[in-house]
Amino acid sequence: MALPDIRTPETTERSMTSADTDVGTPLIQVRDLAVHYSHRRTGGSLVAIEDVNLDVTDGEFVTVLGPSGCGKTTFMNVVAGLVAPSHGQVLVDGKPVTGPGPDRAVVFQDYALLPWRTVIDNVRFGLEMQPHLRGTGWRERVQEAIETVGLAGFEQSYPRELSGGMQQRVGLARAIVAEPRILLMDEPLGAVDALTREVMREEIERLITATGKTVLFITHSIEEAILLGDRIVVFKSHPGAVKEVLTTGIERPRSERSIQSDARFLELRDHLWEALRGEATAAATRSSS
Amino acid sequence: MSTLLASGPGLRQRGPGAWLAGLSTRGKAAVIAVEVLVMLALWQLVVGVLGWINPVFVPPPLAIATGFGELVSTGALTANAPISVQAWLTGFAIAVVTAIPVGLLMGTSLPVDRVTSPIAWTIYATPSIAYQPLAKAWFGFGIGPVVFLVTISAVFPILLNVAAGMRTTSASLIRAGQVYGANRFQLYRSIYLPSTTPFLFAGLRQAVVLATIGMTVAELAGSATGMGALIIKASNTYQTDQAYAAIGIVVIWSVGMTRVITLVERLVAPWTRKGHS
Ligand SMILES: Nc1ncnc2c1ncn2[C@@H]1O[C@H](COP(=O)(O)OP(=O)(O)O)[C@@H](O)[C@H]1O
Ligand SMILES: [Mg+2]
Repeated sequence: MALPDIRTPETTERSMTSADTDVGTPLIQVRDLAVHYSHRRTGGSLVAIEDVNLDVTDGEFVTVLGPSGCGKTTFMNVVAGLVAPSHGQVLVDGKPVTGPGPDRAVVFQDYALLPWRTVIDNVRFGLEMQPHLRGTGWRERVQEAIETVGLAGFEQSYPRELSGGMQQRVGLARAIVAEPRILLMDEPLGAVDALTREVMREEIERLITATGKTVLFITHSIEEAILLGDRIVVFKSHPGAVKEVLTTGIERPRSERSIQSDARFLELRDHLWEALRGEATAAATRSSS
Repeated sequence: MSTLLASGPGLRQRGPGAWLAGLSTRGKAAVIAVEVLVMLALWQLVVGVLGWINPVFVPPPLAIATGFGELVSTGALTANAPISVQAWLTGFAIAVVTAIPVGLLMGTSLPVDRVTSPIAWTIYATPSIAYQPLAKAWFGFGIGPVVFLVTISAVFPILLNVAAGMRTTSASLIRAGQVYGANRFQLYRSIYLPSTTPFLFAGLRQAVVLATIGMTVAELAGSATGMGALIIKASNTYQTDQAYAAIGIVVIWSVGMTRVITLVERLVAPWTRKGHS
């Protein structure tokens, strides 16, 4: 597979000064975003996402919910700077995204830990190539991140010696160690066992709300989307696009247990159920026709 | 089917399979030692005592041991083994220093791979004996043709494995590298190279075996010296016990060098070690 190629869009002439980015400007602005994948073999092209518009304010926790294959990962990869948009653009802090940057970190669904590095060295990977962090204090930063995610005592373990949940804790520590403003999380708990998932959801909720980071959190779990999100962006498929955006409006801190009896939670859950079921039915009819 | 599925060492089961799977390293060595001794005893019995097979074709173990003694006492071993070792090490070293950079290049660049790969596979698939006349023509007599055959036998398993390792580098690890700020060079150093390392060592182990075969073939087919020459001389004079002793030494060299490669791998790539140990 070829590396995703990041080309600098030519349309970045509108130079943004700090004066432009006043308090009211959203931290992430997604403008008419479309991504088309070209299939070399068939010569055709696939519209992965189209007409995506979204504003995310500083400190907001946004969950992205949608059926498998609807373009959630593609969307996040554009924000991460790993995939170049075919149309439109993503602005972070008013500046167009042209590639990855130290202001954004990613937590991957498959953890993406380096198997040849111990826990401590995997976490260090999160800051060792950031020029502005080189030198002083990185040891303390790494140790602090490891302790934050509850991995103290496992510094010298290799990823293969850890459970899935613990591996994702390493992925999380690596993402927060350089203190990025934005955390992009692509179904981070999708491959984690059910019990650990519930525990880690709550931990993530507490950790993130405490640090005030801006988060895009992708999931296909309705409960997860409600439990974690300030807002929920529902994606539809074929082509991937924003179907609706909901504000959860449930008080924090939230817990798996307390939320179950919350009227707003139940209301949102039923609504999202219907929305996603519609999507799934539509997908099934499309594939059978 | 169910027996296959249930044969993992961690699963509860009974019988000799479970007993063998549960053995410690020392226990496994003991089992192998017993196995070898029993085989040697049977071999000695069938050929040496009962005489079911003509010992000229398959000499019994004790005769081979005597043959080994003769190789040592006549000075035949000290006259030939160092020449083979020298040719082997030279050829292997040349193979390693050529194969690694070319393999890395093939794994990096699809166009290079498209052009080089078919050639590499063709040469790799050709039996090494086919290169013997060419080796003679180019390098004349002596150690030259042997070094050439060792190199040509060892270079492709290394090269093709390294290229495969580069190409199969996990896309998500590459993305992780990009996300955390790796430039092109850092991406190679911190992602591509380490993930290719286990492939390199797998290639080196195959290369050891093929290099030894290449060496023996070159020496059998018309060298005056070396272990292959020793083998052919001994069998032409019906001293099959000595020939078998010489073959045994070559096999031990081959197995020994693969062990050396594995030990080096454990040193430079400890993460490839399996979980239980
Ligand atoms: N690199 C790629 N090349 C071609 N098609 C792709 C690529 N990545 C994803 N796709 C396609 O784009 C669509 C959206 O994929 P993805 O963004 O991974 O969805 P999700 O994360 O919601 O499951 C799918 O149909 C998928 O097959
Ligand atoms: Mg996805």
